[in-house]
Amino acid sequence: MSTTVTAVGLVETVAPVTRRMRAYFAPVNREAGLPTLFDAAQMGAFALSSPPAPWVDLGWCSNFARKSATKIGALTTGAPAVVQSQVVTQVEASVELEFEGWGKLQLALAAGSQQMNLLQTATGAAANGSGGRAATAVPLVAGSTATALSVGAAATQFQVGELVSVDEDYVAQVGFVGSGVSAAYVSSPASVANDINYIRRVSLNVGRVVAIANGVLQLGAPLLAGTPPSGMQVSSLTGFVDREGGGFFQEWSGLFVMDGEQGDRVIYHYPRLQAMQGSAEMAEPVAGPLEKVKLVGAFRALPVTDANDGATVLCFRSYLPGAMRTV
Amino acid sequence: MQNARDTFYVALRDRLAAVNPARTIVLRGVTRPGVLVEENELASATVPVNAFCLHWTGLSVDAQGALPLATMTCEISYATDGDSGNGGMDRGRLLSGMDAELVAAVSAAPQTVTKMNYVGAAGGSGLAPVAMGTNVFWGDAAFGAATVNGERLERVATVEVFCYQEAGEL
Repeated sequence: MSTTVTAVGLVETVAPVTRRMRAYFAPVNREAGLPTLFDAAQMGAFALSSPPAPWVDLGWCSNFARKSATKIGALTTGAPAVVQSQVVTQVEASVELEFEGWGKLQLALAAGSQQMNLLQTATGAAANGSGGRAATAVPLVAGSTATALSVGAAATQFQVGELVSVDEDYVAQVGFVGSGVSAAYVSSPASVANDINYIRRVSLNVGRVVAIANGVLQLGAPLLAGTPPSGMQVSSLTGFVDREGGGFFQEWSGLFVMDGEQGDRVIYHYPRLQAMQGSAEMAEPVAGPLEKVKLVGAFRALPVTDANDGATVLCFRSYLPGAMRTV
Repeated sequence: MQNARDTFYVALRDRLAAVNPARTIVLRGVTRPGVLVEENELASATVPVNAFCLHWTGLSVDAQGALPLATMTCEISYATDGDSGNGGMDRGRLLSGMDAELVAAVSAAPQTVTKMNYVGAAGGSGLAPVAMGTNVFWGDAAFGAATVNGERLERVATVEVFCYQEAGEL
């Protein structure tokens, strides 16, 4: 049966009714201090399941709450003092949310410090809270892509289902380290014991091996940093670890999208977010003794300058009305 | 609100038919997807088995907004005797299959669809339904306990369906 769309009048606008919030991540270039900017005028209508590059889907989140701590003061004159005008005395904002999934990215963003990979340890390594001395990494050979790691004969050292960290060796770099996303800041080689595996230990450039054939490790999803250049190595890992303490703040560009049931969309874009609390969880009862444990993140927004008018701002809220709604 | 009911029924019917095309029912001599709206059919004491039967029950309206928001309760009952070739011993599996079909149809995104006016299209007029200005949307299905009625297994699931009452719409 075909459908005929006849001319319809404008429909009164209503408050958005929504179910849940979808979160997206994009890296901030920490060296240059450049966030990833989202232009809702150009990309606002994207399909939730396929965000525009370089945005990465963080999945659904719940209990999203943004708080404005911006303070507006009264400017008074005379006696008795009479309010003549208002001034903005402080601009501050924060965001809280609960991630529905425990992925590497979600863990890292919510951690409030470096989020490390539990690299497979070398034989006889001394015990250490964030993982002992790592086993020797496997070098990539030519021909790797973001989803296929060519390791040649060393492929026999890996198994399907294994997690891997792919990044460069630590060779006395100072500053932000980590491919794709700045994962840590190294102040001196001595501070990280000159560990050749340190960058792979903190890297967010991780993946899971889903197939192995002809010396190639096939990954289940593309690496965050894209095609790995020659010189990178692969380390197996068993999981992730973060710590209460540490002095590094993850910083990311955040995008939160809330679709309304009437075809409207609310988009919150925070170009620069840093965790403002340590690792935390929220237990949600399921049934009986079962609980769902959700990652809790709290983030402070940092400023950017709007190119349109030079204003210093923390967040952009865009609203895309549904079709044929009054404005 | 009738438009919203019709729209939800058609959406659910099409989704259920896509999930399991083999689930059909013969009604008034016509083979169609195995879902019907009880109030749209001839009154009968017979409970169809292996099909989904919609009953519109609760209704509330929030008239405080620019458009009244109607909340309607749709009870979806279904039952199975199992396969006679198996002596009915597969009735639990068949009911579980219907549970899964309903979850897939109701919970699949998007849980919203453009409200349609089927009045002109009714009765084999050949006219196309007319798209309206708002969407019908709904929540997930809440499943009641399975009940045993003789050799029959039955269940009722409930879905809250929402719509805005548009200007001039009855």
